[in-house]
Amino acid sequence: MWTTVLVSGITIGSFYILIALGFSLIFGVTRNFNLAHGELVVLAGYVAYWLWDGYGLSFVLTFPVAILVMLLICLGLKRLFARLSEPLELNSIVLSFGIAIVFQNSMLFLFSGNYRLIRIPFLNNSFQFHGVYMSYGQLTLFLLSLIVIFLLYLVMYRTYLGKALRATIQDKETAALSGINVTVMGTLAFCLGAVLIGLAGPLYGCTHYLYPSSGGEVTLLAITITIFAGVGRLSGIILAGWILGLAESFTVILFGSSWREMVIALLLLTLLAFKPYGIVGKGES
Amino acid sequence: MAEANEAGGIGGKQLQLISRDDQSRPDVAISRAEELCSWEKVAALTGGYVDSLVGPIAAVAKKHRIPYVASASLQKELVQHKNEYFFRVSCLQGFVEPLCGILAQRFKPQHLAILHAATPGSVELARDLERCLKTHGLNVQLIEKFRPGTPDFTPLIAKLANMNVDVIVSGGFTPDHILFVRQLKENRISPKAYIGPFGIAYESFIKTMGKDADYLYSTCAWNPGITEPGTEAASKAFIQRFSRMFNQQPNTTNMHGYTSARALIAAMQAVLHNGLPFTGDNIRMALTKLDLVLPMEHLAFDKTGDPLHYNHTVVQIQKEKLVVVYPSDRAAEPAIYPMPPWDQR
Repeated sequence: MWTTVLVSGITIGSFYILIALGFSLIFGVTRNFNLAHGELVVLAGYVAYWLWDGYGLSFVLTFPVAILVMLLICLGLKRLFARLSEPLELNSIVLSFGIAIVFQNSMLFLFSGNYRLIRIPFLNNSFQFHGVYMSYGQLTLFLLSLIVIFLLYLVMYRTYLGKALRATIQDKETAALSGINVTVMGTLAFCLGAVLIGLAGPLYGCTHYLYPSSGGEVTLLAITITIFAGVGRLSGIILAGWILGLAESFTVILFGSSWREMVIALLLLTLLAFKPYGIVGKGES
Repeated sequence: MAEANEAGGIGGKQLQLISRDDQSRPDVAISRAEELCSWEKVAALTGGYVDSLVGPIAAVAKKHRIPYVASASLQKELVQHKNEYFFRVSCLQGFVEPLCGILAQRFKPQHLAILHAATPGSVELARDLERCLKTHGLNVQLIEKFRPGTPDFTPLIAKLANMNVDVIVSGGFTPDHILFVRQLKENRISPKAYIGPFGIAYESFIKTMGKDADYLYSTCAWNPGITEPGTEAASKAFIQRFSRMFNQQPNTTNMHGYTSARALIAAMQAVLHNGLPFTGDNIRMALTKLDLVLPMEHLAFDKTGDPLHYNHTVVQIQKEKLVVVYPSDRAAEPAIYPMPPWDQR
């Protein structure tokens, strides 16, 4: 039982990481608090569902289309966010709240209020590993998260572009004074975010379910992990995703399902009290 | 409404339906109900899905002395406030009795778990079911609450497997069942029965889950093909009219709406027939004396506004179709129990 719980915690945590990475990156670089992030993930899932169910497209091929659609939408959003004045964080919350409502209603209109599921029999099949059953869906989620984290790590820590992105996250003004085009960095953050959303969406439709208003939950998860991790911190997000996933799983076993949210809330409050800059933050603002 | 209007309306007048969206938010439900009662001067209210909305609407109806027939309400507390303007076509007992019956008389599980969502109806269902099972000598090994929309049930499934639970009753809703059943399959956990009273007995659920929906149990008050004995013709007429109007097959939720509307229309007709003034109080009085045989139920209200004869059947999904398996006098097929393990399907 404990191994099953451990695997479940790591897997769900990996998915949380995938969801939160895009949100954190966009927020870190542009200071735009995108409350429509969850709706974008769900919309990417619906795009994949529409192609898979309506046109019989292979599930794997739905990813590039979902990414492309998200790129177009995110670039559109970037233009909208660019028109905002200071305080950016507050104004972006108001704007993205409206965008989230528009997305929710559009999805309701286009895809109805029925629950949709991308049924890929292979991903729902499971295999036994050291006495623990794991589905291929869980394995895919885990591996994809690892690949994405690795690629993002390469971009962020092994390229000049990544250095520029990190500099913009740390201090936008100083980065601009150093010759970094922060506007381009913002566009790039939205593009990277779109790719991550385009990857997470179809998987969300396959391992969970799609419903027009289910994005709110996803946004909340992304915000929780970003607070947990500290803005723009890749290692923090990985740690936060896995800690939250494991905390949820072990709470169910040890205290019961009804304690799940309470334990997460307590963890978050404790962290905010003792490490307000995130789990790997060192106290800098 | 269309049916009544096509038949000449009531007292020679056509009925008008004024609808408002409560957005599934209690505050919006109150404001919309106030708008309907104060500005639109409606004769009666109906609708409201789930008790968190029905409760506030019932309070508004009482304030304006306008009868309200709720189409989906279970919480007992709502009929304990002596709100004489509140009526509903459903009640919790309609779910508890058949579930308790099939568990105690047919399945007799050694290890039973009741999971319930953190909603009033689901909590009360779990409590009443446990109480009923105890009177039949059945113990519930685990009662556990979860939040609707929980993203991962694997730890809970591991816990149930560790306790050798053979029958699971889950008071979750459609998305919870979708995830739970899939994760049961992924973890190759095959209980002898999985019963979801809410959210399983729908064609849309079966379509979403495909063959994985087979052998699951649920309860059902009405569905195309499942109707109160003696109402087959009325049921068929409703299905035909609904399909023509909305271009899709009706489900049990639609029938709950139809039943509430039929109750109100019959009460209004009675008021006019008896030459009484068309007031909320007279419509309310007519509702208390109502006695209608409808496809979903033989509808009559008790003194609190609860229906007297609201009964569900226990259904099982067999070959991707809903089949009544309990009670015996309504069963179309025997229940397949235990359900076959995932690797033997």
